[in-house]
Amino acid sequence: MSSNSSYSVPLVFNAVEIMTPFLLAGIGGLFTELAGMLNIALEGLMLAGAFFSIVFAAATGNLFLGIAMGVLSSMLLALLFGTITLKLRANVFITGLATNLFASGFTVVLAYQLFHTKGVIQFQNIPKLPVLVVPDFLQRIPILGDILFGHNIIVYLTWALVLLSAIVIYRTPFGLRLRGTGINADTIVSLGLSPQKYQLAGILISGFTCGLAGAMLTIRLAAFVPEITSGRGWIALVAIYLGNKTPFGIAVASFVFGLTESFSNYAQGAIKIPSDFILALPYVITVAAMILYAVWRHSRATR
Amino acid sequence: MKGRQSASGVLSTVMGLALTILFSFGLVILLIFLLSKMPAKTIYAFFIGPFSNKYYLGNMLNVAVPLIFTGLGIAVAFKSSVFNLGGEGQVYAGGLAATIACLAIPHAPGLVGMALALVAAATVSAAIAGFSGFFRMKWDADEMISSFLLSAAVALVCNYFITGPFDDPNNNILSTYPIAKQFGLLKIFPPSKLNVSAFLAIAAAILVYIFMNKTHAGYEMRMCGLNREFSRYGGIKVSRYLVLPMILSGALHGLGGGLMVLGTYQAAIKGFSFGMGWNGIAVALIARNNPLGVLPAALLFAYLDAGAKSAMLGGDVTFEIASIAQSFIFYLVTAQALYDIVRKRRRA
Repeated sequence: MSSNSSYSVPLVFNAVEIMTPFLLAGIGGLFTELAGMLNIALEGLMLAGAFFSIVFAAATGNLFLGIAMGVLSSMLLALLFGTITLKLRANVFITGLATNLFASGFTVVLAYQLFHTKGVIQFQNIPKLPVLVVPDFLQRIPILGDILFGHNIIVYLTWALVLLSAIVIYRTPFGLRLRGTGINADTIVSLGLSPQKYQLAGILISGFTCGLAGAMLTIRLAAFVPEITSGRGWIALVAIYLGNKTPFGIAVASFVFGLTESFSNYAQGAIKIPSDFILALPYVITVAAMILYAVWRHSRATR
Repeated sequence: MKGRQSASGVLSTVMGLALTILFSFGLVILLIFLLSKMPAKTIYAFFIGPFSNKYYLGNMLNVAVPLIFTGLGIAVAFKSSVFNLGGEGQVYAGGLAATIACLAIPHAPGLVGMALALVAAATVSAAIAGFSGFFRMKWDADEMISSFLLSAAVALVCNYFITGPFDDPNNNILSTYPIAKQFGLLKIFPPSKLNVSAFLAIAAAILVYIFMNKTHAGYEMRMCGLNREFSRYGGIKVSRYLVLPMILSGALHGLGGGLMVLGTYQAAIKGFSFGMGWNGIAVALIARNNPLGVLPAALLFAYLDAGAKSAMLGGDVTFEIASIAQSFIFYLVTAQALYDIVRKRRRA
């Protein structure tokens, strides 16, 4: 038991941390998904948040200001994405791609302009994300205590956001209308409301959560790596489907992806596998999960 | 009456596209003013540089070749309402497959090796894309997301082969061993890298046009693209046309990658085809998925690419300003309102 858990507890502990960006992006993406729009831009929004949060945190020396600016930039990019999609009536999936390309372009251009490199940028003066301190008796719960506590505050903020989003989606007029927009936009029009407003709100919410997700990626590393998001936005998109388009379902799906990545990080140290294969693993597992889910759904539908 | 309507439709499309492109060029100028310490020289290098000598001009045309193939690959898929977002990985894998085929038969006659390399490139990439089509057909798994994820994994696996088992220790770049001399395509515009693959690209555009517009299968594919339920009702085997467009799309992407290796690089270099897949999507959208329209659209993207390279060498901005301009073409190319503005203005 003890020899077993000494390996598995850190594995799961790390998974809880690693799943957080997936979960954040997934929750944001859920709002656009429910409003009837496939949000491919999660990846780019996250990248914008990742870049600007660390740059502003380094420039001001203030972690929270940095994260706030990162979230704001991500929301601004979401506003651009939403405005072009809704006001200029462009194809949401193409403008989503545009957002991803734009984010990966301008982060490199700005990094080159500011730091004269297109590679990894390390920052010296980034404070560590504060860890949430919990009462001792909670920390001492066997196994669960070690897994659930001792993470940074973004992890817990994310859990709160999952709860909040469930309340907003299922228990408020806003949530009802947001879902109505996705199911049948005409009913929203018939109520004298604008479906586009709800869609824009969904996009801005995804900008907010993706900004936070990106901030967590760079601040934890105290560095910016080009394309640091490395497909997380896409994996989050799959998590939305696997999670059956519910906040808690997305949390479960994100945990599975977190566990996978945590395990592959562990495998990288323990077994000799080429690092490219390790990097490819999350994509392969995501495709596999997606297809298994489709097979399962298919077999249920045809039964 | 109908003719006139469609003529004004074409005009508003062309005007809308012109606005999109002008806006992107305007953005390039603005960016250079913001970022450069010598804007005049950099702007000159960006816009005039690609035409300043035979070397730059030929290389620009040479960049258009893979873009034509990826643009055609996307046009075939989009026209059938099948979404292939895995172009990046498919081009890369095609290039690597062609390289490995050539490395396997170093003493084969030139034409044999070239043909085998291209068959390998097309087959491997068709299989990768075909997977996503198959899963869509069989279990309704979204091909757009699965093709992207597969492509991302494939690109990493290609990286491994290029920097691992096939890495040539005799050079300083991350690249495979070079392919044998006789497999290189004939250069047609020295000293530039432009080669006979340019003719193949034009031929491919014509062939895809004929296939889509003049054959039975092409007709059924387009019908499925317009309305799958209606096509099913009309007796078309629609499930077949979820897979076939993906296979064709993958094969065209693979050919693009394979020709880049045979014509330009003579080896697979890490990341050599990056951007070709995404830009192929923009090329197809500008061309409105018309295979012949892909030719000028690919030239436009090649110009942006060549301009940015020239601005990096002759000026002081980084190459990625091209990707910012390209992303704005993406943003605006499907923007209906832009075309309506033009249409309204004509009516007024």
